[in-house]
Amino acid sequence: MEDVYDLRSLLFGIADKTVTKLLTGTPLESQIETISFGLGTFVIVNVVFLMLFFSQFAILWIERKWCARMQDRRGATTALRSLWVGENGQTAGEWWNMLPFGAGKPVGMLNGWLNKNFGNSDERAMVDRVGNRSWMGLPILPGFFQNVADGMKFLLKEHMVPQRADKLIFEVSPFLIVSTTLLILGLIPLSSGIYATNPELSILYIIAIFGIAPIGVFFAGWSSNNKYTLIGGIRSAAQLTSYEIPLLLTLLSVSIITGTFNIIESIHFQHSAGAWNIFLMPLGGALFLLTMIAEVERVPFDMPEAEAELVEGWWTEYGGMRFGMLFMAEYIRTYAACFLFAHFFLGGWHLPFQGTIGSIGFLGLGSLYLLIPGAVVTLVKAWLVFLVVFVMARFALARIRTDQILEFGWRVLLPLSVLQVVLAVIYRLWLFDPTAVSDSVAGGMAWNAFGIPHFVPIATTVFWLALFFLMLRDEDKDASPERMFHVQTMQPAGKHIPGQE
Amino acid sequence: MAQMWITMGPQHPMTHGLWTLRVKVDGETIVDTDAELGYIHRGVEKICEDRDFTQITPYCDRLCYVSAMTWANSYIYAAEDLLEAEVPERAEFIRLISAELQRLASHLMWLGAFGPDIGSLTLMTWCMRDREMFLDLLQELGGSRMHYNYPRIGGVKRDIPVGFATRMIAKIKLFEKRIEEYEMLLDESTIWLVRLQGVGYTKAEDMVEAGVSGPNVRAAGVNYDVRWAHPYSVYDQVDWEPAVEKPTSVKGADCYDRYRVRMEEMRQSSKMILDAIEKIPGGKNTNYSAGDEMIMTKAPTRAPEGATGFSNYECTRGASQFYIKGGGEGRGKNPYRLSIRSPMFITIPYVAKTMIGYKIADIPAIMGSFDPCIGETDR
Repeated sequence: MEDVYDLRSLLFGIADKTVTKLLTGTPLESQIETISFGLGTFVIVNVVFLMLFFSQFAILWIERKWCARMQDRRGATTALRSLWVGENGQTAGEWWNMLPFGAGKPVGMLNGWLNKNFGNSDERAMVDRVGNRSWMGLPILPGFFQNVADGMKFLLKEHMVPQRADKLIFEVSPFLIVSTTLLILGLIPLSSGIYATNPELSILYIIAIFGIAPIGVFFAGWSSNNKYTLIGGIRSAAQLTSYEIPLLLTLLSVSIITGTFNIIESIHFQHSAGAWNIFLMPLGGALFLLTMIAEVERVPFDMPEAEAELVEGWWTEYGGMRFGMLFMAEYIRTYAACFLFAHFFLGGWHLPFQGTIGSIGFLGLGSLYLLIPGAVVTLVKAWLVFLVVFVMARFALARIRTDQILEFGWRVLLPLSVLQVVLAVIYRLWLFDPTAVSDSVAGGMAWNAFGIPHFVPIATTVFWLALFFLMLRDEDKDASPERMFHVQTMQPAGKHIPGQE
Repeated sequence: MAQMWITMGPQHPMTHGLWTLRVKVDGETIVDTDAELGYIHRGVEKICEDRDFTQITPYCDRLCYVSAMTWANSYIYAAEDLLEAEVPERAEFIRLISAELQRLASHLMWLGAFGPDIGSLTLMTWCMRDREMFLDLLQELGGSRMHYNYPRIGGVKRDIPVGFATRMIAKIKLFEKRIEEYEMLLDESTIWLVRLQGVGYTKAEDMVEAGVSGPNVRAAGVNYDVRWAHPYSVYDQVDWEPAVEKPTSVKGADCYDRYRVRMEEMRQSSKMILDAIEKIPGGKNTNYSAGDEMIMTKAPTRAPEGATGFSNYECTRGASQFYIKGGGEGRGKNPYRLSIRSPMFITIPYVAKTMIGYKIADIPAIMGSFDPCIGETDR
């Protein structure tokens, strides 16, 4: 369903009016349509790009705060919860009392309540050491503008090229990586009314662009003339070839289910058919996330930049703003992966239960629900995917080895993605009811079976969840007691009589 | 692919210190290795010849920067053997507690460095957080966070402060829960298991022949712990047992065994501390003034010519040994000669050879699992 806020037609309308007014009666009158289209496109592309680019600050902030929470850190990068809620009855500075006119009093009361009920019951005072920490930025978002400071630091650093590096390729490859990464942002819609461009085969296009950066990585690794970067670049190439194929097959199954190669149409389909794709293909969602983590080279699949053995992998030799840009490109790719997951599997800009709640007529509640901007929904979904999957995986897991990741890619992910394609074909051909597709507010009911509404997504989700929990249980400690979890001492603990061996 | 030498170090995240590992790789596979040590050789043994017996203690502190207390204790026992000093029982208990606290801190430092080796950054901050508890406790004893200069020939510098026992018991109890948290994070993670299990096999016989000791041989099923086999101090009076991993493969111990044995050793140290603080003579909440005969006895300061002192001590990384020779009147209060046997000096070149055949990514896993410390290695 179309989002209520159609920024695109608004901007194009303004451009059209302005250009018509200015150019009527001039020699350019015949070109009015072209010029107004060009102007409108220029404006919308910039607006969308800036929205996507600057909302990226949020994910850096989310990662910083969440990993601080997971790692139980103290100091300048303390978790947000520790700053606000505090630990052990102490907060790190009652900032709300600094606000004028007592405006922060409710915050203080809320914090007191949270602190009392959900504060850490650690026996040691934790925050007392944090009390004199410093943090940057507004009191309300501590640490948010740290990234700006980091960027300034990178800008001021010297740019150094290794003496025996292949200087041309060394200079070109970061631009190859960064520019193709920025192109990805152009393809990502924020809502049906806010997107930069919408080519017919945008899924294919976005995958093609995703595949260019690895070439830049390989160039960078080779041209630095350093053994670590060389190994990092080769690892990156090996990893990406083994992970692109499952990724492409997963996206193919998305296209088969939704019947289109266009991102926006595939999002529309999820509403008009009645179920988000994650409920039709949970396996595909998991495969997509796994391959995307490998594609953007984050823990646990970050061997190309494994800092323990390869120092910093293929970007060891880059310094200053080149390093900063490569780092930014990595985060943009991660962010794009989150958006793509939200679009392909979580219904894009559609709200949860949009059809059901949106069609409530009582007091106009349904229409109120639909007033929530689609761009906000998309952003929140992307941030949540980033938080729940990317950040938590990064700070809970260790790094896997190269041969293991390749084996995992070829022997596990590839067969599973082929299975997903077959499943998608079966779903589309035999379980899908094309007559019940409807682009109304209530949405369609295309996945009914046996007379039960939404039977297909419900049954699929229950099946895969059951399988997941079964496999989780099967991974038990009794299977190999001598290897798992507890070392067996020669004599059981506590049986020792002092003084006797 | 052509073979090439990669020089890892002296500044490299894998090294955990300052040394060079040169590896010859064929693609990702290691075909040859070469360890180069000696970057931070300070000549401690030579310096000690010009210091009197009390002044040597801080130098021994600085042998290992994560396990200063055990090294200082190790020296003190050799010096007491040489000077034939009597040590009060209470001081022995305090030394035991301080050494085991240091062992906990040192093993936490090892685990915290081992986590990023495998790729788990969270482990680093968690371990540093918990290590801080024990550094605080050691700071209460010695006055500083790393180099304590705490034990004295004939006793300890000062008694445990009032309230130390309460704080320590609370922290140990908390830490015992934290060990289970670590195991939930690590042993439940398949990635952690596949990175460690089946990697870096070392045979017990080979290690014993090479002279490797400590947790590294106990991981291979060798039930040898100096504290247990030759109990010095009061280790035979407290309730504990050495952590020995049951051998799981004919190939010997892998990285996972070495990880497990240190986790178990932390448990045993906690248990030992809790037991020792209850059994301490004179009570856990009394505080004797410095120099009181309960914690310190008067020891001779000059060693007769030809007398020797020897200590065999279980440091956090294996058996450390001190050999001191007295110099008689001509040397004054100084020893004639002092030699140090460092467990890691033997282990590191041995480990470098065991890496052959594994992948580049296994280098930090194997090296980290042996807990290298270059301070004591190069002396």
